[in-house]
Amino acid sequence: MRFSPLVNEPLVVAGELGYDGPTSLDRRVTQPYHETVAIRGESVRVEREGEPVRSFGLNRAPELRGLLSGFTALLAGDPAVLERNFKVAASGSDEVWTLELTPSDARARRRLQQIVVNGRADVPQCFTMLTANGGASVLLLGPTADRELPKPTTLDALKHLCSAE
Amino acid sequence: MKRTPAALALLTLWIAALGLLGWFVQRQLVIGADLRLFLPNPVTAEQRLLLEEIGEGPASRVLVIALDGAEPPALADASRALVDALRENPNFRVITNGEVALDAVPDELLPYRFLLSPTLDTQPLDEKYLHSELLARGRDLASPAGAFLEEWLPRDPTLELLKLLQRWQPMQEPHREFDVWFDRSGKRALLLAVTQAPAFDPDRQRIALDELEHALTQVAGKQHVTMTVSGAGKFSVLMEARTRGQAQAFGTAATVGMILLLLVAYRSFGSIVLSSLPLASAGLAGMAAVSAIFGTVHGITLAFGFTLIGVAQDYPLHLLSHRRPDHEPVDIARSLWPTLATGVASTCIAYLTFLFSGVTGLAQLACFTVASLAVAGATTRFGLPVLMARAGRDFGDSRFLDRLWDRIAALPHLRWTALALAAVAIGVVVLAPQRFWENDLSRLTPVPRDLLMTDQQLRSELGTADVRYLLVVSAADSEQALSTLEAIEPSLQALVKNGAIGGYDDAARYVPSAGTQQRRQQRLPDPVALRETLQRAQAGTPFRAGIFEPFVQDVEHARALPPLTVEKLRASPLGASIDMLLTQRSSGVTALVTLSAVNDVAALQDFARKSGDSVRLLDIKDASEELVAAQRTRILWTLLAAAVLLVGVIAIALRNPSRVLRVLAPMALTTVLVLAVLRASGESLNLFHLIALILAAGLGLDYALFFEHASADRAEQRRTLHAVLVCSLSTLMVFALLGLSDVPVLRAIGVTVTLGVIFNFVFALLLTRPSPERAK
Repeated sequence: MRFSPLVNEPLVVAGELGYDGPTSLDRRVTQPYHETVAIRGESVRVEREGEPVRSFGLNRAPELRGLLSGFTALLAGDPAVLERNFKVAASGSDEVWTLELTPSDARARRRLQQIVVNGRADVPQCFTMLTANGGASVLLLGPTADRELPKPTTLDALKHLCSAE
Repeated sequence: MKRTPAALALLTLWIAALGLLGWFVQRQLVIGADLRLFLPNPVTAEQRLLLEEIGEGPASRVLVIALDGAEPPALADASRALVDALRENPNFRVITNGEVALDAVPDELLPYRFLLSPTLDTQPLDEKYLHSELLARGRDLASPAGAFLEEWLPRDPTLELLKLLQRWQPMQEPHREFDVWFDRSGKRALLLAVTQAPAFDPDRQRIALDELEHALTQVAGKQHVTMTVSGAGKFSVLMEARTRGQAQAFGTAATVGMILLLLVAYRSFGSIVLSSLPLASAGLAGMAAVSAIFGTVHGITLAFGFTLIGVAQDYPLHLLSHRRPDHEPVDIARSLWPTLATGVASTCIAYLTFLFSGVTGLAQLACFTVASLAVAGATTRFGLPVLMARAGRDFGDSRFLDRLWDRIAALPHLRWTALALAAVAIGVVVLAPQRFWENDLSRLTPVPRDLLMTDQQLRSELGTADVRYLLVVSAADSEQALSTLEAIEPSLQALVKNGAIGGYDDAARYVPSAGTQQRRQQRLPDPVALRETLQRAQAGTPFRAGIFEPFVQDVEHARALPPLTVEKLRASPLGASIDMLLTQRSSGVTALVTLSAVNDVAALQDFARKSGDSVRLLDIKDASEELVAAQRTRILWTLLAAAVLLVGVIAIALRNPSRVLRVLAPMALTTVLVLAVLRASGESLNLFHLIALILAAGLGLDYALFFEHASADRAEQRRTLHAVLVCSLSTLMVFALLGLSDVPVLRAIGVTVTLGVIFNFVFALLLTRPSPERAK
């Protein structure tokens, strides 16, 4: 789900994520159209129906990089990896928790301001990525994605949804 | 060395004069590396293009760069950092790794995107098109690339700029990883640089390469990144260093050997030091004369010049060998002078013909050698003897030389044998199967095979322009040139499609003709209409009303723009690529179409024939070989004139046909024999052989003159034998060493002079030495 000053309504797409180690991530959109974004190492491939395949460097997509490193760190359960790239602030309980990851590199911060991860027990539920220009994209995972979206769909409403019990 | 006040004063004065000359030369002399100084005036249109307009073609300035040794992501980062570090460097016109940066285009050029991109030719900005574009942008925005495009979308919802930048990429798009060029295996990051300096300027190429090295150490930091640089410029630096290195190594060895030889021959260190004065004066005087008259001198002229004044080194040796205890050196010099002067004068007059050869490099060579030899002769006659003390011994008394001379005297005179030998030699020269002349100058400094293989491989990965074939479009002005380029574009595309070429690049890919730009301009809707269309097109897309106002303004701006000219683009940071492809000259405009992966030359020729008079296919290799051949024809005619003059001068000096014949015969026979040996060993001749032959002829002339001079007196004959022995042995040593080199240029000079010295010495003894009857 992306919030952007350019659009009236946030852009909502649905699909699945395939994580296969720290250098490989697939983001498959199935609704409302088909699109596959695949990270392999440092390069990103975008395949969308009816368009030629495009590819670009992971550097161009700070959100993807944030997602990938966040995933990697969380799944590896290795705070050292996280702290290498981010300033980490944790809050909440073991049951319902929030991690605020701020890129430690000033240059990276120009593009990706912060990642907020909400989780429940050992499962992350929401990834909220805030970009520097006031845009944001929110990724709802697992059961959270199946829940009804709040109306109107605002960033605050989603925040609430993510941190809810 | 005399210790009289007069001698010391002269020595001081002499050294001071040398110092002054040295200072003048150092201040004045510019050593040029522009090969054009050494080529004749162009005759055909192709030659003129090659010489006056394009040098060796844009492709010769291209360096391909490969980075490896680290993980691909680190290599990609190093590649980016390298481009950032060198983008503003004055030694490079272009350095790129293929990355398309939206901010590379200066702000004032942005509205031009509608006029430069071909989209409008087939696609009006109508509702249907805008709607589908906006839908796609919505998806882009929702994709992970969204944040990157977000900023840009209000101004450019059709991503016209991106299309334009992609269009400006090489046609045969290299493989990419992480947005930058990599080889197909994804292990080496590739970059492409275009140097400011042409390939044949090794000095400036070296500076550029050093900058590249320096930038890499800066950007690589702790990472271990190794860089491979390849291209004509790199090769010229490499081969120049190798040639220079070997010439220096052999030169040092030869100098040491020469000093030892002279020590053995004269047993006096002082004499050797003194005898180096005329040669030093000669070299400095030659350089001073050239720099005073020409200003710039070609490096090759100097190299050839110093080879040719090797003759001058013999002058003081004759004086040294003829010294004796009972005569003042000044008197000896006076008695030797007629012979020496004949040698100097005839050689100088012969070289004077070079002045009129029409080739600047040769005129410089003439100026250099004439000044050098005249100064060497004059100082040997008037300066050196004043400084010299009387000798302790007379080489005329040498027992060894006496016995040697008797043996030589017992040898038969070989007049008929010599004639037969000459006939056989001419036969060999004519009948040897290989080509007589080597036109391909690159064979003289061949690049090692493995480097060429790497070069080929990197070039094919990057699809860089072919170094040999080029299309040339001549036009009255830029607009006409661009229109012609646009007119041949479909045919070029057909050539790409059927595989004759892999791709092409020309100025019209960057700047369309004003006509085309105006036609596109007329297709841009006015702001009111565009706003309305946008509003309708936005229905069903997620975008907010009115956010594309910056786009509307850009379009409005573009409608009123004067067409982008080559001049305007050239002044912008994007100008580097067009600079090489379109050049303005007083007589008009020359546009180049560079080609990559040329597979079918016949198809190209066919295309050029059908495209009218203004489009020509230039084969750089052919044209430059023709030039070399034309240059050689000139040189040969010049040499013929020189030979005629030489015979004339000798005839006037000696006044007796049989004496003239005896002096000239060894030289002539030697030249034919050396040619025969070279041909029989499978060599094709080149300019360097010719220069070496001229040197050998000059040496032979001196040997013969001195032998001829010595006819009357037995002691004088032994002194002459001593002098010629020392002269020929020292020359032989220098050039035989050079002949061992594995650089073909050095070997050509070394082997030719070595053979020349041996033959000249032997024939001078056999043909010129006085007949026994006369000696009695």
